[in-house]
Amino acid sequence: MDPKALENEARSAIAGASTLSELDEARVRYLGRKSELKQALREVRDPETGRILNSLREELEEQVAVRRGELEREDLDRRLTEEVLDVTLPGQARPRGHLHLITQIRREVEDVFLGLGYSVVDGREVETTHYNFDGLNFPADHPARSPLQSVFLNGDVLLRTETSPSQIRVMEQQPPPIYMVSLGRVYRRDTPDATHTPVFHQVEGLAIDRGITMGDLKGTLLHMMRALFGEEREMRFRTHDFPFTEPSLEPDVSCFLCDGVGCHVCRFSGWIEIAGSGMVDPALFEFVGLDPEEWSGFAFGMGLERVAMLRHGLPALGMLWENDLRLLSQF
Amino acid sequence: MKVPVSWLREYVEVDATTAEIADRLAIATGEVERVSRRGVADVDGNLGLYRVGRVLEAGKHPNADRLQLCRVDVGEAEPRQIVCGAWNFGAGATVAVALPGAVLPDGRTLERAKLRGAVSDGMILSEKELTIGEDHTGILVLPEAWEPGTPLGDVLPLGDEVLEIEVTRNRPDCLSVYGIAREVAALFGGELRLMPGAEREPTGEETPAVVVEDFEGCPRYIGCLFRDVRVGPSPAWLKSRITAAGMRPISNVVDVTNYAMLALGNPLHAFDFDTLGGGRIVVRRARPGEEFTSLDGVLRKLDPADLVIADAERAIAFAGIMGGLDTEVADGTTSVLLEAANFEPGTILWSSERHSLRTEGSNRWEKGVDPYLAPHAARLATELLLELAGARWTGDTDVRGDLPERPVVSFRPERANRIVGVEIPEQEQKDALVALGYEVARGWEVTVPTWRARDTTREIDLVEEVARVHGLEKIPFTLPLRSAMDGRLSRDQRLRRLVEDSLVGAGFSEVYTLSLAGSDPHPGALRLPDPLTSEHAVLRTTLLEGLVRAARHNVNVGNEDVALFEVARVYLPSGDELPDERWHVGAVAAGGYARAKGALETLYGALRIEPRPERTSEQFLHPGKAARLEAGWVGELHPTLLEGSWGALELDLPTLFAQAREHVVYEDVISYPALRQDLAFVVDEEVLAGELVAAAREAVGRELHEARVFDVYRGDPIPAGKKSVALHVAFLSPERTLSDEDARVLRERIVTALAERFGAELRS
Repeated sequence: MDPKALENEARSAIAGASTLSELDEARVRYLGRKSELKQALREVRDPETGRILNSLREELEEQVAVRRGELEREDLDRRLTEEVLDVTLPGQARPRGHLHLITQIRREVEDVFLGLGYSVVDGREVETTHYNFDGLNFPADHPARSPLQSVFLNGDVLLRTETSPSQIRVMEQQPPPIYMVSLGRVYRRDTPDATHTPVFHQVEGLAIDRGITMGDLKGTLLHMMRALFGEEREMRFRTHDFPFTEPSLEPDVSCFLCDGVGCHVCRFSGWIEIAGSGMVDPALFEFVGLDPEEWSGFAFGMGLERVAMLRHGLPALGMLWENDLRLLSQF
Repeated sequence: MKVPVSWLREYVEVDATTAEIADRLAIATGEVERVSRRGVADVDGNLGLYRVGRVLEAGKHPNADRLQLCRVDVGEAEPRQIVCGAWNFGAGATVAVALPGAVLPDGRTLERAKLRGAVSDGMILSEKELTIGEDHTGILVLPEAWEPGTPLGDVLPLGDEVLEIEVTRNRPDCLSVYGIAREVAALFGGELRLMPGAEREPTGEETPAVVVEDFEGCPRYIGCLFRDVRVGPSPAWLKSRITAAGMRPISNVVDVTNYAMLALGNPLHAFDFDTLGGGRIVVRRARPGEEFTSLDGVLRKLDPADLVIADAERAIAFAGIMGGLDTEVADGTTSVLLEAANFEPGTILWSSERHSLRTEGSNRWEKGVDPYLAPHAARLATELLLELAGARWTGDTDVRGDLPERPVVSFRPERANRIVGVEIPEQEQKDALVALGYEVARGWEVTVPTWRARDTTREIDLVEEVARVHGLEKIPFTLPLRSAMDGRLSRDQRLRRLVEDSLVGAGFSEVYTLSLAGSDPHPGALRLPDPLTSEHAVLRTTLLEGLVRAARHNVNVGNEDVALFEVARVYLPSGDELPDERWHVGAVAAGGYARAKGALETLYGALRIEPRPERTSEQFLHPGKAARLEAGWVGELHPTLLEGSWGALELDLPTLFAQAREHVVYEDVISYPALRQDLAFVVDEEVLAGELVAAAREAVGRELHEARVFDVYRGDPIPAGKKSVALHVAFLSPERTLSDEDARVLRERIVTALAERFGAELRS
């Protein structure tokens, strides 16, 4: 047997195999138990010939392995090209549900204030007039104290008309500095219409520290409004009147739809009225036993539904309580 | 408050434009909702097309019975022919004429036109067409002295701008043109004129009999008596102002009271003096069962808390709110008693609400009117009644209780700077206060003007005045300088978010349902004494009703795969003054028990709690598909509640969170492999799968890494009344590799335990 001739013949057979079965045939012929090479190996007597034949065997086995790899890869490539799929078909996801839009806004606001180092307080919804009105400096003849405007359980207990009573409770429980927001349901005796429901949601914010100024109130609300309505927003503050703040300021945010040019959302004024705010009235400090000479603070309140309607273009408030999946799943 | 700008400018002299005034008032005084233009537009010579005209001839239109054909001198070489539909005038009348090309207040452009064959070369105008008043029954007849051809704008207020200002509760002084003028003067450094109303002397000595029985409700009552009054229409300028300010002209006497109110902010009332029983006024509370008919024709049943104006016999007016029909000034009235009083806000507010009666008067009184304003209002009204109604003022009386002193407040300019956050020079602070009517004495002792005495009683109130006159827009945007920070969610708040997110991940959408329900299963649930509606009557103790309602709504509108949840509070009666408000999670989903149980497992898994449901029964649940857990229940809704197969759950979150594992400690399930086996047991139908798993756990202990039911089979060859429950178990030790022998021993423990406790037979 001529190793050289055998090698050449085997090499070309291996290289020429175009399928895995042809390759297998070549492997049996040149490397199988009955092959010329294996037979010669069994019969070899001198070490030199043995070394040559063994190295030839290894060489050919390597050749087969390489060729096998190539053919397998070709096979795979061919199969994959046949497995063409419409890549636009829907996948196999389990549909997820949706958080209510008000929850999304609520968390957004919470996160803005957590980032500013505020804590989040869950106030009570059923409150006493002591916390809901007296502590908040509502005068005895204020219309909100009337059962025609508020929802009473009895003469002293009512469903809170704003989230502010939690301010008083926190001030009673915890010494300043206080930085808190409180979000939740509030109740008014309103006839339901496009912009009113008897239950709605507010965010309340309170900061009490030494040296808090009206500038701090302006800056904090600007931070919140930009987070909610975009970094380009501007704000203006108008004088107002609330029982629990003095001075009281009503913040407007520049219209995010028309950028202040004037449109139906801002009623062609360029500004959107969105919240109430002011410096904590000294009467509140006195009510909870804090010294208004030492401490000052600001507070603000904003309706979450108003954000939903403005920012997401909801036409009617009541839709947020209908719980129609066709609406819920949009957000 | 609607403020005609021409009227405003009569009281204050400033260079500022209307737009500038509106912008500044909006920031510093009250929101300016709108600046509107009314009347005849002042564009492109439009005003020149409005003239005084004199009717030279007037007669019936030859082709139309209802029209007049007129020849009108409008100051030109030739008179113009004008067709007119009104008949309240004839030849010689002085009228208001618009010429072709004129843009009318309603926006139409007047054309030269043919009406029933006759050319009409202009239009003779009514009050309403000029927006001077409401009268459209005839054309506006002008004083004879006015020369034909005179530009109408020189003699009548043809057009004006009107500021619509939203005045806050604390500023009743701004519910008047003069009050706004005072603000404008302070904000722009303008010059405020003296209050309108010239001093007159009465021409008689008739002192009206006025008795105030309740000085608390009525601290002051000025009564002025007028004789020889001629009731008639007001002149155009007066009608025009009242109309522009949003009120309706009625008659000269009534219009004068309204005018003085609009000008100064003190509501007035005029009585026909001859209708007053005993010729006297008594201010008192209503008597039990008393009633009277108010000006709007409604019979009012009075409450003893209502403050009334009475004569010697009966109630004749709601004090401050509305007069009565019987004592109304009418065409034939010749003697008028003018009331310039002061009423306490609380009384008026409650009466106004109790009777659902809100008027221009009540709106001012309920906010608190300056008791020192009454004589000024009386003076202005008196001047006008003498001038416009030809009246004689024959006497007056001023009955008053103790009127409040002006507050004196100690003020520190540096305190203002500390609150505002800006350095405002002391002189500027002083100027601001003085311009608003405060008197600033040496040492910053500040005396508050009477019209702000209710609202401004403390230093902080003066800080507001300084800040708003200085300019809120000049305060920089800053953030607090913090010495301490504690910004984080509480554990409950974090876990609530986790509950919400888990359910969203499980395919549930969040709903918001009302806290007030129509009914509630809890017998002690808190009921509203005065429900909003029958559907909003009780504070709920469960979220179920709202969820079922929301699910039903979704089914009704055709939504599919409905799966809803809510995280909200319920209100449990506590025995104390306030209920126990507890956060619950509730869910409802199409797909029966398995869907709800799956959601429950997702939820418990997220909180790392092992759910341990036990069979239970509830009226609202399917009797065979209801389970109770420590924190609540899960089950299939009773089909009578909602048609179809619906899973539902409700859990008390504080109870659930008490079980939640916060910090999980690492358990070694990695170093050594688990040995897995499937075991099937035949048990009686009544045995619960959960009991088998629990028993297996108990039998093996901590080496039972996992045990779960993966199949339940009934039927051949399992005998009737029995079932085969297949468990997948995994044995694992954190210390060594378990051998097959170990696994056999552990498996044997399970088999023995289940055989002993449940008579379970292992299937081969």
